[in-house]
Amino acid sequence: MILTPESVTRIKDAAALYPQAKSAILPAITIAYRQVGHLNPDLYGEIAGILDIPAVEVAEAASFYTMFPKEPVGKYLIQVCHNISCALLGAEGLLSYLQDKLDIEVGETTSDNLFTLVRVECLGSCATAPMMQINHDYYENLSRAEVDRIIEKLTAEAQSGGTL
Amino acid sequence: MAEKTDKNTVVVEKTPTVTFTLDGREVTVPKGTTILLAAQSVGIDIPTLCWHPKLTIAGSCRMCYVEIEKWPKLAISCATEAMDGMVVYTDSDLVRKGRAAVIQFTLMNHPLDCPTCDKGGECTLQDLAFAYGVDNSEFDFGKHRFGATENDTTFDDVVVGPEIVLNRNRCIRCYRCIRANKEAFGEFDLGVFERGNHTEINVAPGRRLDNPFSGNLTEVCPVGALTHLDWRYKIRVWLTDTTSSICPFYSSGSNILLYTNQQQNKIYRATSRVNDDIDDGWLSDTTRFGYQVAMSPDRLKMPLIKKDGKQVEATWEEALKLIGKRLTEITEKKGRVCIGGLVASSQDNATLFSFSKLLRKVVGSNNIDFRTDYRMLPQTSGGAYDVLCSQPFSIVGINQSDVIVTLGSDLVKEHPNEYLRIRKAVNFGAVSVYAMNPYRTKSSDVAKKELVYQAGTEEILINSICLVAIEDGLIDSSLAGNLAECISPSTAAESAELCEVNLEDIRAIARALADGRQITFFAGEIVGRSINREAIAAALCNLHRLFGLSGRCQMNILPRHANSCGAVQLGLLPAPVLATKDMLSKLWGGWPESEPQTTDRMMANMKKDEIDGYMIVGANPIMLYPDREFATDALEGLDFLMVADLFETETTALADVVLPLASWAEYSGEYVNLEGRVQKTHQALKTDYDARPGYEIAALIAQQLEQPLFENDQTRDETITKVLAVDSTLPWPDEFLEVKHVADEVDEEYPLVLFVGDDSHHSGYLTEKSNSLTNFQAEPYVEISPTLAKRLGIDDGDSVRVESPVGKIVVPVRISHHINNDVVFVPMNFSGKQVNSLIMRKSRVDRVRISKVVD
Ligand code: SF4
Ligand code: FES
Repeated sequence: MILTPESVTRIKDAAALYPQAKSAILPAITIAYRQVGHLNPDLYGEIAGILDIPAVEVAEAASFYTMFPKEPVGKYLIQVCHNISCALLGAEGLLSYLQDKLDIEVGETTSDNLFTLVRVECLGSCATAPMMQINHDYYENLSRAEVDRIIEKLTAEAQSGGTL
Repeated sequence: MAEKTDKNTVVVEKTPTVTFTLDGREVTVPKGTTILLAAQSVGIDIPTLCWHPKLTIAGSCRMCYVEIEKWPKLAISCATEAMDGMVVYTDSDLVRKGRAAVIQFTLMNHPLDCPTCDKGGECTLQDLAFAYGVDNSEFDFGKHRFGATENDTTFDDVVVGPEIVLNRNRCIRCYRCIRANKEAFGEFDLGVFERGNHTEINVAPGRRLDNPFSGNLTEVCPVGALTHLDWRYKIRVWLTDTTSSICPFYSSGSNILLYTNQQQNKIYRATSRVNDDIDDGWLSDTTRFGYQVAMSPDRLKMPLIKKDGKQVEATWEEALKLIGKRLTEITEKKGRVCIGGLVASSQDNATLFSFSKLLRKVVGSNNIDFRTDYRMLPQTSGGAYDVLCSQPFSIVGINQSDVIVTLGSDLVKEHPNEYLRIRKAVNFGAVSVYAMNPYRTKSSDVAKKELVYQAGTEEILINSICLVAIEDGLIDSSLAGNLAECISPSTAAESAELCEVNLEDIRAIARALADGRQITFFAGEIVGRSINREAIAAALCNLHRLFGLSGRCQMNILPRHANSCGAVQLGLLPAPVLATKDMLSKLWGGWPESEPQTTDRMMANMKKDEIDGYMIVGANPIMLYPDREFATDALEGLDFLMVADLFETETTALADVVLPLASWAEYSGEYVNLEGRVQKTHQALKTDYDARPGYEIAALIAQQLEQPLFENDQTRDETITKVLAVDSTLPWPDEFLEVKHVADEVDEEYPLVLFVGDDSHHSGYLTEKSNSLTNFQAEPYVEISPTLAKRLGIDDGDSVRVESPVGKIVVPVRISHHINNDVVFVPMNFSGKQVNSLIMRKSRVDRVRISKVVD
């Protein structure tokens, strides 16, 4: 079992909120993702077992949502929006700045396993473009200086053993 | 007020109707009917891709566009209900334009690789593109190719199961496969993943598409995205002819079409020949791929006769002469009663009837039976077991029931078709299903509750249902009569305890039986095979009487094989129903006087030298008789053994004469399904070697004995029709029958209960010769529960020794969640392992122990 007893309880609690256990698939995968940092077929099986539904239904839902990484990612998952507002305000530039700064391509993880950089579709924060999401937090109205500051802060946090 | 029905069936009930205009004509249909179905009902064809008559509506392809006056846009007719006063056009310019646009969309990613696609010639998309003159998509970006990226090497075709191949590029996302798999079959090995342009059908992570109905998906798929290995790249569909036939394995007789090429004298595939009264258009994989048995290169091609202890090839003439000579010798020397026959219930009516006449009339012996696995009880005309077997049963009746109860049946393996029927009842109606089994089966997927009882306690279990009804006052107390005195234990609680079931569950079943308006209640092979079956049947008769089920319940012990019902009706039993026996003795001018013998009695008498000559047609008792040693001893002790079969088997190896038997695909024949429905198969293949149908063999033997069987085939068939017309339904007993508990002795040394039966992709001993079916499963295994595996330190696939007091075999383990901790299951379909050597004749429950083989 990959899921901790605590996650299991949280999934069961979530399921109790719906008339059908199937409705709890999204909360359940979110809980699993938050615990593990990514999703995989073993987790789908565990979730299906808890909700008593076929594993394929969990897998289907998980695959639909690109927001859940399906493979291990760095400690910090940097998701840069590249849709219209962000694009107009320099998202591509930001992306290449981050690529250079972290020395990785989009889709890759730094060798110290700290950062994974991905390009995502609209995160619904167009008014504060350009923006990115790192793990579960939004970082908005970005500039290169702002990005430098954030990366520095996160690196320091990681070195001091901080958690998500 | 509408009857339960699947959503796609036009409801012809006293529901309110609507009247609307369809292409200028007035059409009246029941309220709730979709425009598509209304159009179909008056012969107007609307093209569809995602719609399927047996599945829920998806509305995902938009091919079925129609124009409705005053509606702002085109509407999809598969999901739009006809309404009063609507004016609908199914073929206007707008509609044609809309459909052409839909085809463009559908072709956006479709590769149009029709020249090399197996669906070509029978592809709905191809036909529609042709009809609407759309030759490609005008979108100017490239088509998305699945697997065309570097980290995905599965370009184009992906083999997703033992037989099924998936081509995601051809897929048009109609989701028919997904719906069929989930709704109709209750299987979850296939799913829809990703989204948008990247949406793909694929197998569930870590799974294979190997469910017992997987072959249907190739028929359900409107394009060439799902095809099967057996058919792929072998022949274009337009070079084949179709022959109608029926399934030669299971007793419902699903209707099939065989695709043949006559010049090559070859069958290429089988598909469903949709019969809504029987199969609803679905086939089990065994039915679908079983045709390969007939095409196997291993078929027996010439008669063999034993010379100096060795079988050598011979001509039919030599073989028949020898049969005639030996049969005459035996009758002259020892008497007619010393000859017996076993003709399998997989054979057609003509074969069964001819052998029956050969034995009873020509030879003059009463020893004929159709059951290999026939345990201790003689078929006593009129006994409770016979009463139950003779009751009427209808397959569609399952779907008209509000309560369905099954007893002792591993449904999906014994009666795949009825399993799907029950699923359908559950999907589309308010039905309660109760399954009672000695181990957990797949029926638990459809049952409200699968009640697992202690093996061998069926009769007590049924008693407990009766008792709880009396105790709780669920039935009119005047009906209870003296039942309580006839049965023991006499309280529900005690009975339930013996069966190791929860009294509450029993109560639920009793309540359902008391309240049910239309009940289907049937028992399966676990009852049919039980040494205790007469007692179980008696308990069921009591239950029938107590609950007053007459008129509101179809109750039966379902037969197993393609022509089990024909065999019973035609009198291939030691003691046929009296009406049948009367008819036959009238026809034949007499009836053999000797005491009739069952297969089992004959076997015992072979050992005593009282049966000396034996004829077997299409059966393999050495492999399937429950007690291999006993059967081997018996058959080895014969003076003369004749076996006619498709292949050389462990039984033919012992024969003095082996005759090559024609398969069901090589002649036209009639079979009686479990409802008593007579169905025909038609010749699809010519035998290019010298195999002959059973009826011809019987006639040839009769000739040798100088007594022609029938004037001609026509007189034979007329007689058969007459015999089949005899009403052989037996009356229910008019009193309660005694059913007492007899304790079973348990040998502590062998703590696990052994169940044998069919694998979910096999039936009997022949399907091993189908390549496709062995792709699904090629060797025996022992199924055990995860808990038991853990306790014994065994992993999936480990070799284990399965030992009973009489034998042992070594087989790999399969860990299954569908089985209890004190039970193991071994399939009987594979000749390599002598599974029946574990079974002891006369044992009520077979017990074994298992241990890991350490190498
Ligand atoms: S594989 Fe065939 S049946 Fe399944 S969604 Fe694609 S086109 Fe439809
Ligand atoms: S058939 Fe109506 S939307 Fe597909």
